[in-house]
Amino acid sequence: MGGAAFSDTAASHPASATAGWKAWLLLAPLLIWLGVFVALPTALLILTSFSKRDALGRVIYDFTLENYLNSFNPTWLTIFGNSIFYAFLATVICVVVGYPAAYTIGRASPRVRHLLLTLVMIPFWTSFLIRTYAWISILSEQGLANSLLLASRIFTDPLPMMYTPFSIVLGLVYNYLPFMILPIYTSVEKLDNSLIEAAYDLGAGPMRAFSRVIIPLTKPGIAAGALLVFVPAIAMYAITTLMGGGSNPTIGEVIQNQFTKARNQPFGAALGVLLMLLFLVSFLILSRRKNVAHAA
Amino acid sequence: MQNLRNLTLLALPFLLAACGGSKPAGAGASNEEKKLNLYCWAEYIPQGVIDDFTKETGIQVSVENYASNEEMIGKLLAGGGKYDLIQPSEYAVEALIQDQQLQPLNQGALTNLGNLAPEFRNMPFDAGNKFSVPFMAGFVGIVVNTDKIKTPIKSFNDVFVPAHKNRIVILDDSREITSWALGEAGLGINDVTPENLAKIRPMLQKWLPLVKVYDSDSPKTALQNGDVDIGVVWSGEGAILYNDNKKFQFVLPHSGAHLFVDNMAIPKTAQHPQNAHLFINYLLRPEVGKKVADEFPYYSPNRAARSLLSPEQLANPASYPPAQEVSRMQTFKDLGPQAAAVDALVTEIKAGGK
Repeated sequence: MGGAAFSDTAASHPASATAGWKAWLLLAPLLIWLGVFVALPTALLILTSFSKRDALGRVIYDFTLENYLNSFNPTWLTIFGNSIFYAFLATVICVVVGYPAAYTIGRASPRVRHLLLTLVMIPFWTSFLIRTYAWISILSEQGLANSLLLASRIFTDPLPMMYTPFSIVLGLVYNYLPFMILPIYTSVEKLDNSLIEAAYDLGAGPMRAFSRVIIPLTKPGIAAGALLVFVPAIAMYAITTLMGGGSNPTIGEVIQNQFTKARNQPFGAALGVLLMLLFLVSFLILSRRKNVAHAA
Repeated sequence: MQNLRNLTLLALPFLLAACGGSKPAGAGASNEEKKLNLYCWAEYIPQGVIDDFTKETGIQVSVENYASNEEMIGKLLAGGGKYDLIQPSEYAVEALIQDQQLQPLNQGALTNLGNLAPEFRNMPFDAGNKFSVPFMAGFVGIVVNTDKIKTPIKSFNDVFVPAHKNRIVILDDSREITSWALGEAGLGINDVTPENLAKIRPMLQKWLPLVKVYDSDSPKTALQNGDVDIGVVWSGEGAILYNDNKKFQFVLPHSGAHLFVDNMAIPKTAQHPQNAHLFINYLLRPEVGKKVADEFPYYSPNRAARSLLSPEQLANPASYPPAQEVSRMQTFKDLGPQAAAVDALVTEIKAGGK
């Protein structure tokens, strides 16, 4: 929003010095926000990650590389790998489940579309922690899902669903699905019908029209959705702790432990910086794809 | 513009915290305002007890919660909050005394100290209650769902057997987990050295892959929901399970059982130390101690409060095990920098065990 205001003002008074000043003033809240809540904490995190600690866990600002050297150890790398795997799986499932939903919403009549969009948003009206607790009571051995399975005599023994990788990924998919649906929906809504008709006129079947025309045109939505799901899912710890039971630790849980249990803030900070680098890399990869799609 | 000023106001505490300025201890204790900033464990002091204190004294209590001693120490030392009263466990008291972070208590203001059982007047981490007053104590023990598990369970080694694979919940606490293994290996729970950690590593490698759930906050949930059949949990949780259903039996393990003691203490930087003394003395009253024990069935260090409890409460094996068992239990000592080694060991086995 700040950016739009800036370019509008600048465009209407290209040569005026006061316009520039006003534009900066309009931008100021955003810049202060970014400085105080993004740049400053990040700087503190990086500073801490190169520091030492005392017996009580206080940070001592004395340069060391130890925290980073400790990070490259099979234990933490395995956990990093697991977290990436869960996040990747959740992202793929979100695309598979979210795409048809977003497509249906985007192609529906305006009245139905609004109704469907509201339905997608409804889960946000409740705290995600409460919704996660609801899943615990659904998935546990004496929970709703197992009672139904047992009552229907499909199974004779309850299925262990809670506290497994299955429940972790389910929790991630459930919580992040709207973040996949909404960007794809925006792309689908902008889809030009004449291009699809042209594909049919030129002899493409429905499958070919979908894979060669519709998918490439909605790619920016998929990429944005993937970014919005994958990046936060790697670091998520509340869902993975509650639904995974801690026996499949994720990197978010490990970082939290460094701060709240192990009295090792510098090490937690180092893992946090590495996680941030990972985000940066996945962001660069996904946004480059998006740009390519835009260009095409 | 309004926006901008709000933002600056919002940012102020962060900037102050970032500068790391530590304020000198509050002076002018004689004319204290009617406020008390309490920093305590989640789910430990009943709201009714706090409300009654406010009604009686007019002192407004603002409560902030933490979930681990490390979290509390970290925040306290960062100097962000102005806490008047904290609730550290025994090893945290030891560490904070050593670092001179606590105020000596004014014994004259604590007229109800005599209500404590004698052994709690002289704990090894703070003999004579110079800096801390025990609030609640407890143990870590084994809860067995006797409907599902028929074999006798006496020790941690009986819990971690292949027959119980994926049927176990334990506390998500690396220090606790290693102390159980140290006990089974015949070592003291405080003998945390690199050599001893190496010695118990194979045992933990056998134990932890059998565990289904790690939960320190509410380990009873997995047992109640039937997701697991056996657990190593806080005694208060064991007592609640026992009250719910007698099929949940509480067992104090032969080796490695230890006593934990959560205490009230006043940080050096407290701004309302007199109010904090008033609150400590209030908590020491028998009827207040009873209210706490009613809601959170741990082991009350308050002998006068214990005499008000019902025979049923006193018969709960998780709340009040035989006195001779309690008297031979040790308490945790502070680990200092070894805490990170303990956490790394357990996390490593957790991650690699499956």
